[in-house]
Amino acid sequence: MEVARKFFRFMAVALFMVCGFMKVMATTHLAGEKRTVKDTLGRIIQIPDRVERILSLQPEITRILVALEAGDKLVGLDYFVRRDDHLFKIIFPAQERLPVVSKPDDSVNKEVVVALRPDIIFASPSELLVPDSIQQALGIPVVALSSLGSFRNLLDEIELVGRVTGREARASELISFFNENMNAIRQTVGSLSPERRPRVYLAFWSSLLRTPVDYGPVTAAGGVNVAAGLLPTHPGSPGAVVTLEQIIAWDPDVILVHGNYPPSERRVTVEQVVSDKRLRSLKAVRNGHVFYTFGYWYWWDPAQVLVETLYLVKLFYPEKLRDFELEAAGNTIFEKFYGQAGLFSKLGEALAFHDWIKEK
Amino acid sequence: MTGSKKNKKKRSLQVFLLVLPLLLFVISLGIGSYAISPRDLVGTLISTISPSSYPDIPPVYRDVLFRIRLPRLLLAMAIGASLSVAGASLQAIFRNPLVNEYILGISSGAAFGAALSLVFLGRAFPPHVSAFLFGILAVLAVIGIAGRGETASLISLLLTGVIVSAFFSALLSVVEFFASPYVLQALFFWLMGSLALAGWRDLAISLPLIIAGLLFLILFRWRLNVLSTGTDEARALGVHVQREKILVIFLATLITASATAVVGIIGWVGLIVPHLVRLMVGTDNRLVIPLSAATGASFLLLADDIIRGISPLEIPIGIFTSILGIPLFLFLLKKAKRVWL
Repeated sequence: MEVARKFFRFMAVALFMVCGFMKVMATTHLAGEKRTVKDTLGRIIQIPDRVERILSLQPEITRILVALEAGDKLVGLDYFVRRDDHLFKIIFPAQERLPVVSKPDDSVNKEVVVALRPDIIFASPSELLVPDSIQQALGIPVVALSSLGSFRNLLDEIELVGRVTGREARASELISFFNENMNAIRQTVGSLSPERRPRVYLAFWSSLLRTPVDYGPVTAAGGVNVAAGLLPTHPGSPGAVVTLEQIIAWDPDVILVHGNYPPSERRVTVEQVVSDKRLRSLKAVRNGHVFYTFGYWYWWDPAQVLVETLYLVKLFYPEKLRDFELEAAGNTIFEKFYGQAGLFSKLGEALAFHDWIKEK
Repeated sequence: MTGSKKNKKKRSLQVFLLVLPLLLFVISLGIGSYAISPRDLVGTLISTISPSSYPDIPPVYRDVLFRIRLPRLLLAMAIGASLSVAGASLQAIFRNPLVNEYILGISSGAAFGAALSLVFLGRAFPPHVSAFLFGILAVLAVIGIAGRGETASLISLLLTGVIVSAFFSALLSVVEFFASPYVLQALFFWLMGSLALAGWRDLAISLPLIIAGLLFLILFRWRLNVLSTGTDEARALGVHVQREKILVIFLATLITASATAVVGIIGWVGLIVPHLVRLMVGTDNRLVIPLSAATGASFLLLADDIIRGISPLEIPIGIFTSILGIPLFLFLLKKAKRVWL
């Protein structure tokens, strides 16, 4: 009896120890090789701590990877950066040898994805079904990330991408550079009472009625986005569609038209807005305060969004940046991010924004 | 209930359905994100005729009322009436309650036309004309392929409609593939169907054709009764069945394509409204056609009022009618098992 009792006691202790040991092993395994991130769609994803092969279907992340000098980890691209991103060919010539895995209808060739053996895939949150569809089919972690118009989100993305690619130092260098510029902008704009801040409406994405519900550059440059706080059209989208009457009810001081398009591709132009008789009562139209701004470029470019903020400060408060040369500043900022001189000027030629940035 | 009482009630309902769009139109003038009080609304209307009677009316009220709301409401009514009458007429001649105004390929033809125009003709050229032409072309292709004269059975027309729709959808995908992402943004907005930017120019483009087509179909309504009895019976009554069916298809196509060209694809209207009307007044096309026009105008006005009244956000009316339409159609199907034609 005594022997049996001893045996059971021994077994119970042994079982307890084995269970405890296994639990510690599992935790260690989790902490050592995987981390958990919550993406823009609220999905909780386990991602490897370090990755060597990255597939990016999200131009914002693709640009961040190149800015972090981690472009060599890219194994595939989305159609936009290959076909329509004028700058990407210059900042990352090696892109030519990378396969394109997506099409304009948001579909992804999963067989090519499997062949590329990525450790992680970055996708755009605006294509709601794509992340889960790839992850469930292929078992590869898919993180849907976007800044959605917020600088905080953009810097978090740079930090995360820096961490998983082992480029922490470069990431913190770029984050510090970004923050230093933002601090300088904050000092330039100074403290303003709400009534001195221009109320701004943004006509984005090829429509007079589509507008971002959060747009960091306007706020940082001392303006107020009249559509701030509206519900976006769907989770993962940065914008809403508003009624024409609502724009008139807002009566903005400034209207900004999406300018990151080649001239022939612009569906909404400053001239159209100014000559639209339905909008003639607006303060912005009466005072001639309808301008282009850069806006999204299939999500943001971390360098361009900084230049855009400076451009908007100059637009809203010309007296505060009297002798400021936007093109020179733009080239400096782009060089910091992408290591090449004159990039902003080259982009200006492709998108023909020299005319409207010089008018100011 | 006696027969005369029943008739009186029926007559009152018909008068109500006919007057409803006018009532809704007046109410709708006061709905929108830009707040205008009823007094100012009346003042703005009177001041256009006699500017001295309301000198303090701000010009912005006139712009909101006459440049935004009025064309939008008129367009909503015209489109609602068009899609409903087109749906009702096609259901009558095909003798099938599930036929809708897009069944012969208009929507995919028009979508392809709009895409072609947006991609190759640029912003200087509105996509309306191309959408209209390709909408018509799709239906002509259906009639051409299915065969005219005695060979064109209704089933073959419907099946060809499905095939031509699929073909134009495939062509649309090809154009989308080559389009720049900026053009795609504009195209997707058009495809969702919206009255958001409706202006007088849209009315000027579409209204003459819509009115002509609607008038013709309303005048033709009694012959739809004959056509819906079946080919042999109609022929026995001296009707040139095939020619008249083609004429009805042509008119339904004309008004649907005119509507689709200016506002994009607005689904379910041509299915729900005729069913609703038949549930209320029976299957006599002499009543169904004009009452479908009135009820369709009311339906789209009401849907648009909800969109304009509830929030500053512009929900594309095509999405809204689909969300509203599917449960409503299920309800009508349950209610109207016995009455469909």
